[in-house]
Formats: sequence, structure tokens, C-alpha cells
Amino acid sequence: MSDTNSRSWSTRRDDKLRRVRAVEAHADGKVLRTAEMVAALEAVLVSGDRVALEGDNQKQADFLSRSLAKVSPEKVRDLHMLISSISRPEQIDVFETGVAKKIDFAYAGPQSLRVAQLLEDGALEVGAIHTYVELYARMFVDLTPRVALVAAEKADRRGNLYTGANTEDTPTIVEATAFGGGIVIAQANEIVDELPRVDIPGDWVDFVVKADRPAAIEPLFTRDPRLITEQHILMAMLAIRGVYERHGVVSLNHGIGFNTAAIELLLPTYAERLGLKGKIARHWTLNPHPTLIPAIESGWVDSVHCFGGEVGMEAYIAARSDVFFTGRDGSLRSNRVLCQLAGQYAVDMFIGATLQIDGDANSSTVTTGRLAGFGGAPNMGHDPGGRRHASHAWLDLKTDPSPTARGKKLVVQMAETFQSGGVPTFVEELDAVGVGQAAGMPIAPVMIYGDDVSHVVTEEGVAYLYLAADEDERRAALAAVAGVSPIGLRHDPRRTDDLRAKGLVAYPEDLGVDPTEASRSLLAARTIEDLVEWSGGLYAPPAKFRSF
Amino acid sequence: MSVPALMSRTSFVELNARERARALLDVGSFRELLGPFDRIESPWLARQNIVPQADDGVVVARGTIGGVAAVVIAIEGAFQGGSTGEVSGAKIAGALELAAKDAEAGKPIRPVLVFETGGVRLQEANLGLAAMADVHAAVVALRAHVPVVGVIAGMIGCFGGMGITAGLVSRLIVTKQARLGLNGPEVIEQNAGVEELDSRDRPLIWSLTGGEQRHAVGLADDLVADDADALADAVRAAFDRGAPAEHASERIAFWRARLDRLPAAPEGMALRKLWTGDRP
Repeated sequence: MSDTNSRSWSTRRDDKLRRVRAVEAHADGKVLRTAEMVAALEAVLVSGDRVALEGDNQKQADFLSRSLAKVSPEKVRDLHMLISSISRPEQIDVFETGVAKKIDFAYAGPQSLRVAQLLEDGALEVGAIHTYVELYARMFVDLTPRVALVAAEKADRRGNLYTGANTEDTPTIVEATAFGGGIVIAQANEIVDELPRVDIPGDWVDFVVKADRPAAIEPLFTRDPRLITEQHILMAMLAIRGVYERHGVVSLNHGIGFNTAAIELLLPTYAERLGLKGKIARHWTLNPHPTLIPAIESGWVDSVHCFGGEVGMEAYIAARSDVFFTGRDGSLRSNRVLCQLAGQYAVDMFIGATLQIDGDANSSTVTTGRLAGFGGAPNMGHDPGGRRHASHAWLDLKTDPSPTARGKKLVVQMAETFQSGGVPTFVEELDAVGVGQAAGMPIAPVMIYGDDVSHVVTEEGVAYLYLAADEDERRAALAAVAGVSPIGLRHDPRRTDDLRAKGLVAYPEDLGVDPTEASRSLLAARTIEDLVEWSGGLYAPPAKFRSF
Repeated sequence: MSVPALMSRTSFVELNARERARALLDVGSFRELLGPFDRIESPWLARQNIVPQADDGVVVARGTIGGVAAVVIAIEGAFQGGSTGEVSGAKIAGALELAAKDAEAGKPIRPVLVFETGGVRLQEANLGLAAMADVHAAVVALRAHVPVVGVIAGMIGCFGGMGITAGLVSRLIVTKQARLGLNGPEVIEQNAGVEELDSRDRPLIWSLTGGEQRHAVGLADDLVADDADALADAVRAAFDRGAPAEHASERIAFWRARLDRLPAAPEGMALRKLWTGDRP
């Protein structure tokens, strides 16, 4: 008991102050000298530290990650890295040199092959593969970073940060680190005297440094309408009539992909003709998809809260502040964690595409040989049991008349029955099962669990899985829309009429959808250039999407 | 283009060769010659494990334009990049030669070439090259009697030997999405290196070879929006205008003088500044 009096209760703060003093030699006030970044990192880091390196699917603290890759393994070893999305090669290089040892991450898209290889070689130890929200949540529980390396667009000399349209994850990482007794270092494209607005107060930030070049940002949510096929359009028509209209879906999230891009582009045309304007798709939790511009311009959209920004959409968003969340300076304020939270608890529907679905409607984008992780899709693609407020769509999915039963969020999977190259989407067993076993994961990396999925939309029709009385009926309804894939071939055609009569399966004619009408002329914009026209010239597409 | 116009138009770029020919001809007048059911296809591709196409990627259609007899020769960019092989080349040259015969006999004819091609089909090498010479000769013979109108819409553009054909026509109509050149950007990058030309730098490529640039410097005559009706109108207007007093490709001194004034860094804007208003 006497320990309580003799032990120090401020070791983290004392240690932080000692480290900050050690780094001050490389700084003028709070501003680190760019050329001394590697030495500064060697001064601040201690072997075994838990380090949050900001990198999500859009914004990357790439100056800091390149500097970290140059840190000498003689001085710093065995770091435990927290990286939400592993996107850059140098984020992995540190495991080869021994500077880092362990990693917790959510997504490893471009580096997924290397991650799998290093894991096999024993050069890298995985704490866990999370979803975005879980990884950030754990920063406040048992994975609080000792040091955070983050990215801002602009900083001032007092450490205030302007993160602007791509605020994304930065406030969350900084909050966990700063208030957990850790050290926050932010790279900025520019150090300025006056910020457009303060996104993160300087009091939370220990050091800023001007990056040698602007932070890398990927235009990840831009889909060129030119690549939308008539099959996508047919599926979009089925979704609009069979899901949005049927359940009166007002608030929603769209995944990335051509299927949902097609829906966005059919709102001002097909859905408008159906008289659905104002009745569906008014409130969105969504990245600023350029394909949403025609719907916004046609007055369909009341509000959009964004996870992150999108390259080229800045001026358009600033000019549409009634729709987007923007600061006093006019620019977008995104926030991944809050948007994820909104997407879980406040919206009525998640709809997205996937690569594989099994007979129980479990789905995954994990394919053999790649350890890609989850990103944020599972956060959005589930029915949160903790929701209590009711809405029309949520109540519409309540099938149990009991007074203590609850409603249900719509979790809709959209997939063509076959991927390109004749690979079936509907399979007996997800590749994720084998990948999970090979990687020694305690459970298979299922992206969206079948028991959360309420609807599946294919080019064949819509399966209303939430209406199924039991597992057998659920599987039969799914198989009825799975075409000639291995799951679809299981389907007993004699049962279809029964399922259609019960409303578990709807084919185009049941929904009043004429497949011959599914043509590209229904799209409100057929090219990136059309989107520029719709935006009145405000949308500035990235170079790789230009064809004029 | 205004938003209502965007919504109501038919994109010409998105049409396939057959639909393009139909869109340029007077409504209801389309009649295809040597169509897919005649099965005149390349004898060379199957030997190289490439599935041939029953029209070899060229649609020849008779009909009328503005009520006058016409022939539209449309190249299908979706088949082998619109490349010219033995059969497709013969279809183009043959159609032009028949048109020349009509014109020589005093019969009215309005010939239109719709380009969407990277040039000669490499799998048919010399046969494609020989066909290209026939096409060039046929255009020159035909344009002595009637105007020959060319259209480049995109997305492939018009390159290689067909780039020369485009230079020979009486009037060339392009969209902003069109590209026109001799060597395509990928070929230049492959031969001269990425420092010379980065073929993935799309704004750079269009600033050099794009429809807007080619129109601004006088290498194309009309810049028209990607709208099937607008393009059909432009084609009709080109014929109503009649043959030019002198074809652009005959004005050798003019082009030579331009080349003599080529700036040190001949990038798109510099050429536009130098050559705009300096129309052939």
C-alpha cells in the first residue's frame, strides 16, 4: 500500500517532456527543420514504442513515413506500428530493417502481397486486422500511441493545423495521442502565419514540419461514368424500385463502385420520372463522389457528411455549403470516425458491391494470396444492434410483431452474378476462409456477415433475405437471384413462384422494371466531362480522368 | 453544352460504327454493303489466335445525306483498335473507288469517313500498309470531283496511316474528345522514352493531339460537341459548302513555312499562340 505514495503517477508525462526536450535541438520553437527530420525521429523514438503513422486510403503522411524509413535500426528497433491503411512501400520497409516489428492495421490494399510475404517470413507480427473504427477505438483503450506522425495541409508556428477537406482521421489520432500522454508530430505542405481555419488546436500538437513535397492524396472515389455498363444500369433500376422506393430509404451510404455510381446518376433521370424526388436518398454519409453532382444540382440531396475529401471536388463543395459540411472558410470538413459513426447509427441503409458471396450471403473482397484487410466496409455494412431511434425504412424491415422486437438497418449487397473473365461471384466457399487459415487468423476475414445482409441485388433480381422464415428459405431466395453461378445452380426453379408470391424474390417484371430500358442514355452524365458541365465548371477532374 | 442539352443528346462517341453510320445518314435511308452476314472477314487473324469479326471492323453504308446519295465508311474502334487490315482496308478503298466512279459518271455522291483507328493492323503488316496506299489514292481521286468529309469523334482517335487520310479529306470535323496524330502517344513513348512524351499524362496528350487543339491550329476544320445530331448537321453543312478551292494538303508552301517557324519547345499552347489565325 505504501507503493501508492512512493511511486510516480506521471511517468508518461515526465517521459514525454524529456523526449520533447531532446527533440528541441532540431526545432525552432515548434517547427522542426525539414532536413533534420530523421535525427528528430531518432531523438523522439524509443525502441518498442507504439507509433501511429497516419495513412488512410486517401491521405498519407508520406514525408514522415519516408523519414521513418531512414531511421537507423542501431538507434530505434521493434516499433509497434498502427497504420489504418498500408499504402506505401516505405511503410513496410521499416519491417525489413528491423526498425519496426509489430503492426495493427485495417487495410493493406496496394501492399497486401508484401504484408503476406513478410508475415510468412516472420519479419512482421500482426497484432490484429481491424476495421477503421475498431483501430481508432482501440487507440483510446489498449493501443494508445506513444508517438503520432500525422499529415496536415497547413500549419502555423504555434502548431495549429489546417487539415481542410482531407481532415479524415487526423483529429482522432491526435486526440488519442495528445491526451494519452503521447507526442504528436505533424507534417504540413506549408507553414503559414494565418490558417484558413483551425481544424486541430496547436495545444494538442508538439511539433510541425514542412514536408519536402505535398502529402500524397489519391482520388479514390472517382468513377468514370464512361465505364458504367448497361448491366450496372439494370441493377441500379432494380435497386431504386426494389429497395429505395419499396422501403422509402431517405438516409444512406453508398460504397465505392460502378453499381452505386449508376444509382447516383439515375436519380435525376429514372428515379425522377418515378416521382421519387424528395421521397428517397436525401441525406448521405458519403465521400464527395463526383457522380453525385447531377443529383445535387437537380435538388435531390439535402445533406452530405464526408469521411474524407476527393481530389478535384474542392471548389464545387465550397460553392455548395448548404449540402456539405464546410468550415467558415468555405472548405469541406471531413471526419472519418464521425462519418462512420453516422453511417452506423444514423442512416437507414448501406449499399455496396462485393467480389464474392457464399450461399449464406457472407461476403468478402479478400481473394487468394492477398491479405488486404477490411477498411471501413464492415463498419457501414452491418445492422447496429444498439440503435434505438425509429425511421420509416428501419421499421419497414421489422418482421416480428412482438412489442419488444426492433427494426433493422438495410444492408444491401449489389453484385453481378459473374465477375469479369467468367469468375462466379456466388461461390460455395469464400476465398477468405483459406486466406484466414493460411495467415493464422483466429476467424476468417469476412467483410460483411450474411446475417447482417437484408437484400441482395443482382442483374437477375432482388432477394429480400430479411423476410426469410428460416435458413433454408434464406438460402433459396439468395440462390434464386444467383444466376448460373455454383450457388444459383443449386436453386430449384419450381420453388421460385412460391418465393415470388411470398415477396422474398422479385424479378424485373415484379418490380415494374423493363430491362430493355436499361441503356446508357438513362445516365444523367455519361462522361467525366458531363460532370464538369453539370457542376458549372466547378469540378476539376484529376488529370488521369480527363479525355479532352 | 447546357444541362438540358446534356440530358437529351445522343452521344456520338458512345455509338458503335454501325450506329454512327446510321446517325449520319438521313433517317431510314441506311443500307449496309458487305455487312456482317456476308462474312467477309480477315483470313490472317485466326492464325494468330485472334478471333476475327464478320465485318472486319469496317461498316460501309449507303443512304442519303440531305437527300443526296451518300456513302458512310465507319471504322469500329472496338475491334482491334480500329486497325486497317487487308479486308477492312479493301472495304474502305473499294467503297471510295465506287464513289469515284459514280462521281466521274456525274452521279451525285456524298462520301464520309468516320475514323476511330490506330492505323495499320500490325498482324497484317504489309497488306494493311498496301491497303492504306489504296485508301490515300482513292481519297485524292475522289476529292477532285466531290468533297470528302472526315469525322473523328473519339475515344481511340485517328493515328498512323489513317492520320494521313484525315489530312487528305476536304473537310475534317472533330469533337473535343477526338485525337489526331501520326504516331500515337504510346508509340512515341515506347520509341523515344517517357522523358520525350508521357503517354499517361492525359492533359498533355490532349493539349498536343486533342480535337480542340487540332481545331485551334487549323488541322481540323470544325469542332463540334459530342452530340449525334450536331455531328450530322455539321456533316450536311460541310457538303453544302462544297469543295474547297484548294485542299489543305495541297498547300505545301504554307505548311513548310509553319514548320520553319516551329518554336524550340513546341508544346500545345505555344503552337496555338503561334498558329491561331494563321489558317490554311
